[in-house]
Amino acid sequence: MTFNEKELVTGCKQRNRIAQKQLYDVFGGKLFAICLRYTKNRADAEDVLQDAFIKIYENIDSFRADSPLEYWLRSVVVNTALNHLRQQKYLKELDDIDVHHNGLSDREFTLGNFQMQQLMEMIRELPPGCQTIFNLYAIEGYQHNEIAQMLGISEGTSKSQYSRARTLLQQKLNKEKRFDDGSVQHKQF
Amino acid sequence: MMDPSNINNFEDQWRKALQEASETPPPSVWESIEARLDGEQSKVVPLWWQSPKIWYAAASMAALLVVGGGLWMSDIKTNEKPQVAVSTESVRKSESKGSQMAEQVPSANESLNTEKLAANDQKTSSEAKTLIESKTPSVKSKGYQSIEQQIEIAASNNVNAAVKHENAFTKAKNSSQDQPGIAAVEGAQKPVAKSGSGNEIISTTATPVESVQPVEIATAKVAGNGNAAALADENQSISAQLLASLPYSDLDVYVQNRHIFFRPQIQIEEPVKEKKPKEYYAGLGVMPASFNPDVQLKEAPMAFSAQSVSQKRATTGSSQARASYAVQTQGGVRISKHWSVETGISYLRGNSAYEGGGYVLNAYSNLSSNVLENALAGLASSPSADKAAGFNNGALYIDVAKKVSNNYQYLQLPVQAGFTLNPDKKFSYSVLGGMMANFFLVNELESASGEIIRTTASDDIYRGMNWAATTGLRLNYKLSSNWGANLTGSYQRAVSSGFKSNQSLDSHPYLYGVSWSVRYSF
Repeated sequence: MTFNEKELVTGCKQRNRIAQKQLYDVFGGKLFAICLRYTKNRADAEDVLQDAFIKIYENIDSFRADSPLEYWLRSVVVNTALNHLRQQKYLKELDDIDVHHNGLSDREFTLGNFQMQQLMEMIRELPPGCQTIFNLYAIEGYQHNEIAQMLGISEGTSKSQYSRARTLLQQKLNKEKRFDDGSVQHKQF
Repeated sequence: MMDPSNINNFEDQWRKALQEASETPPPSVWESIEARLDGEQSKVVPLWWQSPKIWYAAASMAALLVVGGGLWMSDIKTNEKPQVAVSTESVRKSESKGSQMAEQVPSANESLNTEKLAANDQKTSSEAKTLIESKTPSVKSKGYQSIEQQIEIAASNNVNAAVKHENAFTKAKNSSQDQPGIAAVEGAQKPVAKSGSGNEIISTTATPVESVQPVEIATAKVAGNGNAAALADENQSISAQLLASLPYSDLDVYVQNRHIFFRPQIQIEEPVKEKKPKEYYAGLGVMPASFNPDVQLKEAPMAFSAQSVSQKRATTGSSQARASYAVQTQGGVRISKHWSVETGISYLRGNSAYEGGGYVLNAYSNLSSNVLENALAGLASSPSADKAAGFNNGALYIDVAKKVSNNYQYLQLPVQAGFTLNPDKKFSYSVLGGMMANFFLVNELESASGEIIRTTASDDIYRGMNWAATTGLRLNYKLSSNWGANLTGSYQRAVSSGFKSNQSLDSHPYLYGVSWSVRYSF
């Protein structure tokens, strides 16, 4: 990719529209994928992306060059997505849930056979709380205590919601695998 | 418990699969972002105009600038005066001395050049120093008297040099003539040092000033430079003023530089602002609706009042809504981020039914008429006037409810204001409110038997135009940057009667409708 990150940031700080567009062109795709992961439908994802870019352009002055630009952009998008979810009341009732491990073996776990779109869809099908916490913990790499602080929930809730998400995803993966094997005759709807 | 290695494996796999995931967003997203950026930029301008605090601050700043500028200008003038005096002085001196020692001029000019360079660059200043040093021995070899002489000669031939560097060299000259002037040399060192790197020449010459001999050498160096202190008779107060003026001229240059530096930014912003001043839109839609004319009888028509037995029942009829529709065109303008104003023209086909408590039967023609039919027939000039007459003479009252369909056609002209939530997003919601002028076109009253009483605006029964209040809630969905789809729930209620005030009938139509429309934004 041929772009000078420093020049791009300087241009955006000067509110230069060409630089702003270039920033969008360079990072828009990755950031949109994040939005899709945190929301339930494309329209919401587009709204989050819009809001996030407006925030990025407005707060670009606060960006310090000591950290990578992409890292900063991702954090703005994640925060915007969380705000959006709060507004939608998705994160209102996040309770501690009992999770019993279903005993599904994940010893030979691999996602190599799955398309990115399939995985994305699986995450989006999770219950909203599980979806958010899975994204924050597994993909973004936040710790449970950080997630608890971000979402205003207990650390236990974060852990149990994550376990739930993990179990549900594991079930989905196994189900998809079985269909791939052809061992199950009729797909259940 | 799960094996921790598996957990890591699980997360790592997901992270690997999705962290670098990318999907191109649709073009409408950038268009919306751009529109919002434009909106925010244009929004800045009214804030300046609206806030009185800004104006107070601007006024006080302007006042400060005027006062400060005045002071500064006066300061410049006072600084300029001595400079003129000095230059004329030196010119006079040079004239008096004549071109006696013309051969000194080239060397003097040469050193002047080196010093000018030194003032600009640290490196060149060191070169200048070496030049000066190299000249020093020759100067030293001459006696004290000859040094004095040379100084004088140099002074007389370097008018320009003296004018340029009068601050430093005037003092240098003073010190050479007068031994107690050592202090004066030291004093000259400080202010000169502020003015730039080129003054190193002076400081090196002035540093060894401790006894008579070094002073002589110092002056000799200055003389050797050719920038000899020409103004021996100038007093020190003038020199001090001249020194003070130097930093101001430096500041001037920096201020100019900054203006030039910021100008391109302003030029970039201006065309962006002009890009999207206002957004206009036009729409086309259809609205299935439930229309109720809410017709009330203020008094029973003659045929019914004559039927005294059942007078009460006969006049208590009621309107019922039936499926209706409206075809609507809209035009609107978005006046701010959230507010918009719109108008349009709609054709409304309002169907309803009127059920009277009983009906009268014409004794001669077997025509039947319920209370509304009868009232309207009585009002109409022709051709149904004769119908009313028939009922008035020997009609029978049948106490069975009779339903007639009562259909209206209106041309509507609404003017509405809208407040939009989540503007510029894929989904947005608007709350609408306003007034609507309903222009009456035609009314048809049709009984089950096929009798039609048709009333038009020219019959003077219905008002040509009556007002209605309208409100609604609209859901906007953005299909692309220009196209959008709307779903609007609206309620309309007439605020004035549909009938002329002198009629025995009263009608305040109301309507509930859900409109589907498409919109194009310019």
